[in-house]
Amino acid sequence: MEKYDDQQIRQMLLKPETQRRGFEACVRQYGEQLYWQVRKIVLTHEDANDVVQNTFLKAWNALDSFEGESRVLTWLSRIAINESLDLLRRNKLRITVSGEEPSVASSLIADSYFDGSETEALLQEAIAQLPDVQRTVFQLRYFEELKYSDISHLLGTSEGALKASYHIAVKKISEFFKARD
Amino acid sequence: MKEEKYIEELVGKRNPFVVPEGYFEQLTDQVMQSLPERRPRAKAIWMRPVFYAAASVCALFVCAAVWLAWPQASAPSQGPMAEVVQQEPDDTFFDEAADYMMLDNQDIYAYLSDY
Repeated sequence: MEKYDDQQIRQMLLKPETQRRGFEACVRQYGEQLYWQVRKIVLTHEDANDVVQNTFLKAWNALDSFEGESRVLTWLSRIAINESLDLLRRNKLRITVSGEEPSVASSLIADSYFDGSETEALLQEAIAQLPDVQRTVFQLRYFEELKYSDISHLLGTSEGALKASYHIAVKKISEFFKARD
Repeated sequence: MKEEKYIEELVGKRNPFVVPEGYFEQLTDQVMQSLPERRPRAKAIWMRPVFYAAASVCALFVCAAVWLAWPQASAPSQGPMAEVVQQEPDDTFFDEAADYMMLDNQDIYAYLSDY
């Protein structure tokens, strides 16, 4: 399968006659990376799959608004993160209405698409207790090892605010584990 | 950062999530099949600047027509003020009132002498 760079994909997306081919290349090249960004925020494969499908559908429908100024991956990541946070809010609302909330760690251990230890499941539980921005910043910085400047482009927040959010998130997570010792 | 090191030593950074077998191989086809056909860009959007320009020209014509139809509207405050200023030094108003009542100076003197 032919591989294209970001610039070539951008050019293809801007021309109506090559849009579909460009979009296919874009899904092929960035789909997996986007999936992992999303999965670490929403945790389950089913939710991550839904968010990724929605992300590409939204991007396709909004192709006219893509001016080719930013990298294609940055544009898609922004949509994917917003979709992920929307899904978390909807899930939170559903749990509040139903009144039952199983622990994140026990849900993950029972999940056939989670291959981690109990400590890894507990880390996800600690992360899930953070507010949305801290949770997203922690996942992108700790696991994806993105630079603050890149996260700033994705979330539209200043680097200073992101650093502060990350430090608070790290402090809360370490306190979560220390409280269990 | 001390706390970050603590988490890293305790848990590590391994990705503990997995996907169903062959998921990424099928993802592109799944996504592409779910996409609707794209309609070409709506002409109205492309034409918008032309419509805005035409609307501005029309508005300009309307303003010009209003301006020419009522030229006195350009200096509305000068007329009444000028009249007031002109009336003050003479007795135009008094004379007009006297004419209206068909009185002359002699009639006025006669009325005054009765009091």
